[in-house]
Amino acid sequence: MEVHHTDVRILMLAWKMKAEKQGYFTLEEWRRGLKALRADTVSKLKKALPELEKEVRRPTNFLDLYSYSFRYCLTEEKQKSIDIESICQLLDLVLGSQFRAQVDYLIEYLKIQSDYKVINMDQWLGFYRFCNEISFPDFSGYDPELAWPLILDNFVEWMRAKQT
Amino acid sequence: MSAPKKKTIQIEAFRHRVVADPKYAEKTWNILEHAIHEIYNHNASGLSFEELYRNAYNMVLHKFGEKLYSGLVATMTFHLKEICSSIEAAQGGLFLEELNRKWADHNKALQMIRDILMYMDRTFIPSAHKTPVHELGLNLWRDVVIHSSKIQTRLLDTLLELIQGERSGEVINRGLMRNITKMLMDLGSSVYQDDFEKQFLESSADFYRLESQEFIESCDCGEYLKKAERRLNEEIERVSHYLDAKSEAKITNVVEKELIESHMQRLVHMENSGLVNMIVGDKYEDLGRMYSLFRRVASGLVLIRDVMTSYIRETGKQLVTDLERLKDPVDFVQRLLDIKDKYDKIIGSAFSNDKTFQNALNSSFEYFINLNSRSPEYISLFVDDKLRKGLKGVSEEDVEIILDKVMMLFRYLQEKDVFEKYYKQHLAKRLLSGKTVSDDAERSLIVKLKTECGYQFTSKLEGMFTDMKTSEDTMQGFYANVGADLGDGPTLSVQVLTTGSWPTQPINTCNLPTEILSICEKFRNYYLGTHTGRRLTWQTNMGTADLKATFGKGQKHELNVSTYQMCVLMLFNNTDRLTYREIEQAAEIPASDLKRCLQSLACVKGKNVLRKEPMSKDIADSDAFFFNDKFTSKFFKVKIGTVVAQRESEPENQETRQRVEEDRKPQIEAAIVRIMKARRVLDHNNIVTEVTKQLQSRFLPNPVVIKKRIESLIEREFLERDKGDRKLYRYLA
Repeated sequence: MEVHHTDVRILMLAWKMKAEKQGYFTLEEWRRGLKALRADTVSKLKKALPELEKEVRRPTNFLDLYSYSFRYCLTEEKQKSIDIESICQLLDLVLGSQFRAQVDYLIEYLKIQSDYKVINMDQWLGFYRFCNEISFPDFSGYDPELAWPLILDNFVEWMRAKQT
Repeated sequence: MSAPKKKTIQIEAFRHRVVADPKYAEKTWNILEHAIHEIYNHNASGLSFEELYRNAYNMVLHKFGEKLYSGLVATMTFHLKEICSSIEAAQGGLFLEELNRKWADHNKALQMIRDILMYMDRTFIPSAHKTPVHELGLNLWRDVVIHSSKIQTRLLDTLLELIQGERSGEVINRGLMRNITKMLMDLGSSVYQDDFEKQFLESSADFYRLESQEFIESCDCGEYLKKAERRLNEEIERVSHYLDAKSEAKITNVVEKELIESHMQRLVHMENSGLVNMIVGDKYEDLGRMYSLFRRVASGLVLIRDVMTSYIRETGKQLVTDLERLKDPVDFVQRLLDIKDKYDKIIGSAFSNDKTFQNALNSSFEYFINLNSRSPEYISLFVDDKLRKGLKGVSEEDVEIILDKVMMLFRYLQEKDVFEKYYKQHLAKRLLSGKTVSDDAERSLIVKLKTECGYQFTSKLEGMFTDMKTSEDTMQGFYANVGADLGDGPTLSVQVLTTGSWPTQPINTCNLPTEILSICEKFRNYYLGTHTGRRLTWQTNMGTADLKATFGKGQKHELNVSTYQMCVLMLFNNTDRLTYREIEQAAEIPASDLKRCLQSLACVKGKNVLRKEPMSKDIADSDAFFFNDKFTSKFFKVKIGTVVAQRESEPENQETRQRVEEDRKPQIEAAIVRIMKARRVLDHNNIVTEVTKQLQSRFLPNPVVIKKRIESLIEREFLERDKGDRKLYRYLA
């Protein structure tokens, strides 16, 4: 199909299929997904991808994909958080095209900070909200007294210190 | 029978024969006019009141009221003009006297005239809507005399000159002044105001403006205030003596504005004599004066209060950051108490216990006490010192006073939980070493803490006291039951501590000497025999022992030592020399404790029951220790044990801090859960506010820490974020 396995479109495909486990598609999931995409040949599948991309970009769907992508990376049972390294890759994959600058700086920060070794779902969702709602890089309207996850408070502080 | 009809007898008015003489009115008026002249010429005695009255009456009766009235006006005016000239002619000081005299004359004349013309006053005047006689007389006086061009200004100038003269120290005729101002008031309050008061206030303002400028250039603050107070009192006195009472508020306003308000800032901040200087020097009189003067001016007290507050905060801040002072906690706290006493006294004697000042003092204390994170520890050390020895021989009332002062400082603390931690530690040491001066004082303080903070704060502390009491009973039971079997061994006294109530201590190894072991075992068996399901662990780092020692020349001493020290010393019963290594092996006491223990036995003058080679203060592994035969002391009982509460070292302090932070996390979480359980849904800011409120009696939680706890609770699925509004949190049942 000429799509690299680290391509985000694989993720989108998985989402569409509501696949449970990263790297694997059950037969059921596969069937379900292809049916949803109305593709029964490889070429049709290939053609369906751009359509899929468009579908994904719709805000409600995107949020769904975004949360899905986090759960998709949880490999162990009862695992609730993902290590920093993987989070950085995931951020790049899922948000990179839309929020290039934010993602790059966020990744830089995540790598140098030492408060958190893992990221949980709540923080993960916070990242998306942050990119969507807060203008970058002035952060006007960002208020650490509100309910933003602490890690983002620290990120903004770090950025502001760099900017002076 | 009907009632007899009353016959009314009518008495007809006696009618004079109506005289149709056309010149009648003229003739009658002439008589009256003449009378008025005589009255004004002080010749009234020759007049017949009855005749005049009758004449006036007749005129009015025969409808000649108008003529009478206008005649009156003209005649009076004529006389007043004459009076005017005579007043104008008066020289210098006689001017007022002449005015006063003529005024009195006029009033007397007016009175007589009115009496004569009473009938007209009562009948013709109202119906013709004319001004009544008395009022007419006043108005004419006002218009003809007072407002005459020559008199009006001269009168005002004279009055102001006299007042000014009095201000410069001259003596003036106050009675005369009073009469004149009363005259103006009688003429109408607008006359008093327009012809005198307005100018009086204006020129007074000018005068005081200049004078205050002079004063402020030449006087220091205290002197200035004295002068201002004097001037103020003068003006008040002046009003009471010869001005209208309503002028008091107005003139005092002028004085307040010119003398006080305009120079407030400069006075308060005056170098070497301003407010701060007065405070430092406890100048109660000056401060009191400043307070009562500034109180009269809007924002005067606010100024004093603000300057005082920032000064208190400044000195307080200096004190709590002064590293030298901080080396002695007891002295430090005493200084805090002294500062509080000083300001209490100032507010009490000079600021009439003004509540707003009290509040400012309290908030300042709260501010700077909490600047130093070790304040809670120091206050506990202060209490420890007092309860250990400071309160020895002090009367019960004085004890209460000191404890109440301590409570006052306690209330200012934001981190009351830190205080609790230290207090527990210090109390434990006091109880276990039996070193408390007064059990009553200890209990009294616990009660005060309970009243302030509630049962939970003190339940553990009370537990400690209970343990001590129970242990006493246990020991009695022990000796009653087992005493016979003990024979000649060492005497044991055990305190059994309930783990939860006492400060946590790490359990260390320590080899007890054999002599001790057996009795300890006997106790353990006895105790466990009577209390099943309990575990006992010897706290070797907290005990004490009394040893009887005999030295080289046979001198005997009783040594009071810690358990560790006892273990070490007992080793020397079998040998005279031991190296550090050997001691460490035999006693199995942890290295840092052992080193400190050996230092206290060998390196302290007067307590060196051991000799060390080499003589250095530090303990090296290869050092050798000898029993010091040559030890001497003038006391039979020598105290070497160190169980006294001391100011923590930096690393110890860090450790305690960390433990406090750890303890706070569950408290914050419990508060969050309590709040969310009740409210179900709440936004972030409100949670922070509520949590802070709930915990404020123990400590001030950091909003960042609260946020972290919330996130932790989200992770553990106690809470979740609301799907729609991201500022809200929801409680998950």
